[in-house]
Amino acid sequence: MAKLILSTGNIVSGGPSIVRKPGASNLELINSLKVSFQDAQLDYADEIENVNVNGTTTTTTTTNGTSNGVHEATNGDSSSSSSSLVTGPLYWTARDQQKKENDTILVPRIDWATAGLSEERSQYDITVKIFFLPTTTPDVSRRAAYTQEAMELVLKELGGISDVDLLVVSFPGMSFDGDCEWEADKLNAAQGDDESEIATWQAAVEELHRQGRVKRLGISEFGTEKLARFIKRLAIPPAVDQINIKNCCNVPPPLAKLAKEQNVELLVHSDCTDILPEGTLRELLGPQGAGLLADPATGSGGLSGNLTPQWVIKYTAVVKNRGVIENKGYFAGAELN
Amino acid sequence: MGLLALGTALDWPDAKQQAHLVRAWGIKQLLEIWNKAKGKERDIMLWGDEIEYLVVNYSKDDPKVLLSLRQADILKALADSNTLKVTGDCAPGTEANGDAGNVTLPIFHPEFGRFMLEATPGKPWGIDFKDLLTVEADMKLRRCIAKDHMLPNEHPITLTTFPRIGSPGVFTEPSYPVSGPKLRSQFVPDEIANPHIRFPTLAANIRSRRGRKVQVNVPVFRDENTPWPWKDPTVNHDLHNWPEDDDVRNGAAPNNFIHMDAMAFGMGSCCLQITFQAKNITEGRKMYDQLSPLGPILLALTAATPVYKGFLADTDVRWNQISRAVDDRTPEELGEKPLKNDRWRIPKSRYASNSTYISTDSRLRPEYMDPNLVIDPEIKQQLLDGGMDDRLATHFAHLFIRDPIVIFNEDLQELDLTKTDHFENIQSTNWQHMRFKPPPADNSIGWRVEFRPMEIQITDFENAAFSVFIVLITRAILSFDLNFYIPIVKVDENMETAHARNANLEKKFWFRKNPFPVRTTRRGGSASRSASGASTPNHGPSRPTTPPLGPVEDEYRLMSVNEVINGTAYAKATSKEVTEDAEEGEEFPGLIPLVESYLDSVNMDVATRCGLARYLDLIRKRASGELWTAAKWIREFIAKHPEYKKDSVVSEEITKDLVGAVIQIGEREKRGLGIDDLIGQVPDLEKLFGGFLKGKSPCGGGQAALEQELKDDAKVNGVKRKFNAEE
Repeated sequence: MAKLILSTGNIVSGGPSIVRKPGASNLELINSLKVSFQDAQLDYADEIENVNVNGTTTTTTTTNGTSNGVHEATNGDSSSSSSSLVTGPLYWTARDQQKKENDTILVPRIDWATAGLSEERSQYDITVKIFFLPTTTPDVSRRAAYTQEAMELVLKELGGISDVDLLVVSFPGMSFDGDCEWEADKLNAAQGDDESEIATWQAAVEELHRQGRVKRLGISEFGTEKLARFIKRLAIPPAVDQINIKNCCNVPPPLAKLAKEQNVELLVHSDCTDILPEGTLRELLGPQGAGLLADPATGSGGLSGNLTPQWVIKYTAVVKNRGVIENKGYFAGAELN
Repeated sequence: MGLLALGTALDWPDAKQQAHLVRAWGIKQLLEIWNKAKGKERDIMLWGDEIEYLVVNYSKDDPKVLLSLRQADILKALADSNTLKVTGDCAPGTEANGDAGNVTLPIFHPEFGRFMLEATPGKPWGIDFKDLLTVEADMKLRRCIAKDHMLPNEHPITLTTFPRIGSPGVFTEPSYPVSGPKLRSQFVPDEIANPHIRFPTLAANIRSRRGRKVQVNVPVFRDENTPWPWKDPTVNHDLHNWPEDDDVRNGAAPNNFIHMDAMAFGMGSCCLQITFQAKNITEGRKMYDQLSPLGPILLALTAATPVYKGFLADTDVRWNQISRAVDDRTPEELGEKPLKNDRWRIPKSRYASNSTYISTDSRLRPEYMDPNLVIDPEIKQQLLDGGMDDRLATHFAHLFIRDPIVIFNEDLQELDLTKTDHFENIQSTNWQHMRFKPPPADNSIGWRVEFRPMEIQITDFENAAFSVFIVLITRAILSFDLNFYIPIVKVDENMETAHARNANLEKKFWFRKNPFPVRTTRRGGSASRSASGASTPNHGPSRPTTPPLGPVEDEYRLMSVNEVINGTAYAKATSKEVTEDAEEGEEFPGLIPLVESYLDSVNMDVATRCGLARYLDLIRKRASGELWTAAKWIREFIAKHPEYKKDSVVSEEITKDLVGAVIQIGEREKRGLGIDDLIGQVPDLEKLFGGFLKGKSPCGGGQAALEQELKDDAKVNGVKRKFNAEE
């Protein structure tokens, strides 16, 4: 079993991927990942051919004959201290050596040296949003582990900061769709799974808040009833509910009222809940995409096995007094069996 | 319009003698502040808007609407803090006669025209998104307070120009004879200008320097019954009061043009200007450059000026008329005579689209620069010697080719480096469509950029919408590192294009195809990235390359306003007037989608987003033609008026009804009533506003936000107050 950590890098100055498409969608994530993979492939292309370019950095050659295409560099003195380089079709990825227990592959390689924020932490409003995906079982301890792992990556990417301002949780199966927002609110009441959501909240999210790593907590796509039930049972209720509505003038009045009473801020967003479907991920990484996965027909190419996306985390760092978005990106975790 | 110094203003021949001294001292003052402020960092985002009003005298029963010349009395009433209260109609929220102590009161300023008034917010706006929704309420408050300090028949309105200014007969209250010593205009009296010595001197010295009166000629709109060739019937060729009366006998008033001859025809126009504070000088320089190509687009989109001196014009915007109204160039500088006494030929008026890019951005290619830029090489050298970089030194050495127009004798005693008065003398009489503003002498405010091309809109809803839109564009530019560079000569060309009737729908503008930054490779180079978000599967790696920059001409193409604002896809789906040229892979994302992408990436509450969506919606519809510009609406109003004889003449009665309609709209907006009852009574209101001004907005963003604002501690900060205080 191998684990893949997908990343987009900072997409805010990354070109057209950021352009909004109407309605809720995952195009930003998918396009950014595509671009991220392609850029890495271009940037590391010479490594597939050139050995010891400058005599000190050990890069790898196009060695064939490794069992699954992943080949650990023999010389540990690589440019990236915590990861080692990989060859073959995966030359643009890296293996995370800190994760001893698992084979963790960074897709693409991450240059932590360029990570970080340009000003001190206090200048920023940092929001992260974790998406638990429908492809995984609502196992509370696994979700807690995902959250920990995802948070760590974000904190590291933003330069080793120790906390974020807002963590929003997106549970699978939730939506705020319908012909009118009232209807959406009604449909919403029966969506998701209260028990696992509450357990997840308590195990994975409240703990981060207690540790001081997250200042405020939020949920996504909760209508009136769902939100009311949730709040009743939680020690640390959400301070934010993100909703995606077609016409923002038409917040269902009961939801607006509840939010006001309970001091829950209603924020807008345009993410879809099922942000990284299995098929989409397979396409992204498959022979027609980034070429990371082996062609099932011929068996040639890179990794083989079943690929299951587990979580996605989105992070945004906005300079507070200037309203400038400095850093925005995604990480995603997937399992290869 | 800032604080007005008093003193002895020099007449032109004397002022000319001192021009060199003022420039020399101005440069010293600039270097002083530049050295002091070049390292200024992390100023927060603040911004301010300026709304300019015409004050009209209107009553249903009077046959005429007149310009009120009581500016001084109105300002005096407004300046008297004992009476400046937010009362009655103006009280925000439900508390009648609300205590003004909590709200930051607006500030009123004089303007060039004695029939004008300018109002700015009492303190600058921040970038808290809820703040953005208080702007509209504050604008309404300003208008309301202004009205409360006028006579019952006086009204502040936001038409760009008064349709019959300079027409024969009475058009001001009180009325004065024309052909005064300062303006020497055969159409407007000297009393049309603010009597403060600065203004008549400004007008007189521009005329003197120029050697004749200004020539503001605007093509007349040719209607079915317009005689052709058309000779401006109001021009008097037989006047002999002043030497300048010869101008019209020497061809100053050509056929088919509405002829105007005084600064008041231009500087009497109302604009909507926005000033931003940048984080530091680098960000300010970047914003200056990136907003510059947007200028002509926003000018066309806010078009509101189809009438001059009682005639329909064949243009829709004010810009060139102001440009000509303050054009102080001599015949030598204009290229009409060989250079003998003057130093150089100057291609543009001191009021014109800007001629420099100043950013340190590596994407600024030398090909974008104006090849005809005139600079003063000595001044540039002084700035370079003082440590300024070449690009910025070039910018100021360009502004400093101009003479100071108004010089006060008292200021010439000795150079005061704790002031910036001499620098500002030149800087603030360079009226380009962008202005780069150094901090004041005490360094208490940051580097600022002013966006100046927009025309004032009839309602505060529209004015707020355009102000907020520009603010959000700056945030998108900075966040996404957008690149709108095109050659300056193309921006100039666009500025001309923006004048055409219906330019926003029927004309095309040069605009950059790909606004996104090129990616930097992990090797530190740059590489292009496919615009589609990369869809080609990558089989087999190729060597990373840094493609050489292609020809500049390949970077831009012609686009409609709709395409620039809404994006290629939207424009293709909605455009009736023009076909879009976008080729495969050349789709432009659109400024509104870029702004929405920005909004999607920040935390924003539902009500705020709703309020902002309403603004973006207005702009989207104006750009697509679904809604009309004010210029189009005014044209149609006139065309449909029973008095109109299809001869291009906008009579007193038509003017009265037009202004009356504008007042009625304003009154309803001020009270939050909506204009529903006017629909049918006033033609085409639904074309101008769509469903936007139908009573209370369902979200009530503005009012709610203002109430919130009232609760917040709103201390007036002296430093902040000065934020906008320049002309």
